[in-house]
Amino acid sequence: MAAAVYDRPAQHRSRTSRSGLVWYLIAGVAISAVFVVPLLWEVFRSLQPESAVSNPPSAASFTHLTFGNYSKLLSGQGDILRNVINSLIVSVLAAILTSVVALFAGFGFALFRFRYSGLAFGVVLLAFMIPFQAVLTPLFLELHFLHLLNSLLGLALFYTTFNLPIGVFVMRNSFLQVPGEMVDAAQIDGASVLRTLFSVYRPLVMPGIATTALYAFLFSWTEFLGALSFLTNDSLFTLPVALSNVETGTYGSVNYGLLLAGAVIAMIPCVLVYVSLQRFYVRGLVSGALKG
Amino acid sequence: MSGQVSAPPSERSSRLRGGLTHSWLPRGGPAAGRPAAGGPAPRRRSTAASRRTTRTGLLLISPALLFVTAFALIPLGFGLYISLTNWPLVGAYHYIGLANYTALVHNSVFLQSIRFTLEYTAIVTVPILVIGYALAVFVRANRPGSTAFRTMIFVPYIVGLVAESFMAVVELQPDSGTVNFVLAHFGIVKASTAWTVHTGLALTAISVLVIWFASGLTMMLLMAGMQGIPVDLYESARVDGASWWSAERRITIPLLRRSIALSLIISVVGSFLAFNQFFIITDGGPGTSTESVVMAIYQTAFADFNVGLASAMSIVLIIVVGLITFLQFRYLQGDAD
Repeated sequence: MAAAVYDRPAQHRSRTSRSGLVWYLIAGVAISAVFVVPLLWEVFRSLQPESAVSNPPSAASFTHLTFGNYSKLLSGQGDILRNVINSLIVSVLAAILTSVVALFAGFGFALFRFRYSGLAFGVVLLAFMIPFQAVLTPLFLELHFLHLLNSLLGLALFYTTFNLPIGVFVMRNSFLQVPGEMVDAAQIDGASVLRTLFSVYRPLVMPGIATTALYAFLFSWTEFLGALSFLTNDSLFTLPVALSNVETGTYGSVNYGLLLAGAVIAMIPCVLVYVSLQRFYVRGLVSGALKG
Repeated sequence: MSGQVSAPPSERSSRLRGGLTHSWLPRGGPAAGRPAAGGPAPRRRSTAASRRTTRTGLLLISPALLFVTAFALIPLGFGLYISLTNWPLVGAYHYIGLANYTALVHNSVFLQSIRFTLEYTAIVTVPILVIGYALAVFVRANRPGSTAFRTMIFVPYIVGLVAESFMAVVELQPDSGTVNFVLAHFGIVKASTAWTVHTGLALTAISVLVIWFASGLTMMLLMAGMQGIPVDLYESARVDGASWWSAERRITIPLLRRSIALSLIISVVGSFLAFNQFFIITDGGPGTSTESVVMAIYQTAFADFNVGLASAMSIVLIIVVGLITFLQFRYLQGDAD
């Protein structure tokens, strides 16, 4: 059944004539350009010297291209490199934590029937219903008490929590897809729970792990409000927070060339990760477990 | 195959004791409403082993429970408590009952932020849905190029509004920004137009940015829903001589209700929780005229140090967002299922 449903229905390509196809491609390229060209344009702009970025355009601004903004940003003056590393640490940590915790929880929820498991599942998914923007202030105080304020670990724990509902949901569905016979076979063998998890299931649930990790990474890499609230020490700022300092000119005068270069640096990992792993991303979307 | 949507997992929820159905969860896409495959699964474990099962199960889920309790539920409860006090960021506090909530009714900054956020939400929601729907129709077919088009249209969403807002700051500058350069070329605006210091212009610019950013997400969600509609429905409609539009109206839209509900909720709730684009592009200005609700909460807590009042605002926000979600689900899901 699945094959029949997910193969594209024939009626959507009723006009298979060659001219129809050509028009489809022309329209598709035009539409795609609306979404991609502005970003490519910003990459181009970030290669202009600062004077070209913050002055009216002239003929010279299209020919004089330089990596000046990038070298200035990544060395000395802005020292954004440290913030890029902070962002990487937080995002990778959150991705790992979320996948591991969601892996165990998904396993527990999918294959162990026990009392209160329904209640516990509801509790985990409650974080779905709580917008993190609305618990920021009490969370700030709590992290302060726990000495997790101004800490990359604290920020990663926060990101992990709010990525767990989708992760647990995706992982639970992954385990539910595994044929029941495989579970029985493993149990007859007398394999321990963890052995079963790592030997029997691991290859089968890897796509789910990839989805979970990908969501957590992208969320953490692009998150701004929490990082802005929970980090006050410049040396711990993640990239978006550091860029808001560039914008307001904390590092001397406002330099829009630096700001553009920083925004492009922030964009690159997202595009790379998405383009290489997008089928896992789409899987997550389809399982309907996306939080806004 | 990238972009190709695989079959969603069918829920064998019968394996879970009590058959929790999570009916409140935004379940969209083709998974929605699909009956569980294969009926109830046979019980696998004897009751003798059930205690051990309970222990192992609890052990497996406890880290997740710990995280959610520590960093979501406790802050929520704590926030409720703080909202009943005059909590300053430093110093002594005392219980003041509902005084923060009654103060909100007269708090012009908060009321203004709610009005503004509602206005912003009203502006962007329909364009995101309509454009997202049109894009989904365009890319849903397995035609040459459609996968690449999907990928490219979705890129702005992946890159995130924060980086794009920084880019917008540069490009919205009067005299030097690309936006004025292009629009002035076509005689639409003057090259010296200062987008961010005029409420209407700022709202226009940010709305366009957000619609561009978010349409790809709606496209993906609706496309996944469309691909779950059985082909034979369209074939019989074609036999009946139905036009493309009438097939779309009679088959696609009704069967897509759940996906439409999901994408609407995501975009409405997302708009209601907006912060990044306003903080970065206008900083709430001019004055506080483009301050969103989340920005007002942030300012009250971290600039005015009135944590009690900020928590009361947050609780109101949670209730409003919950209500929006509930109503949209109720309305769009109807009572068909």
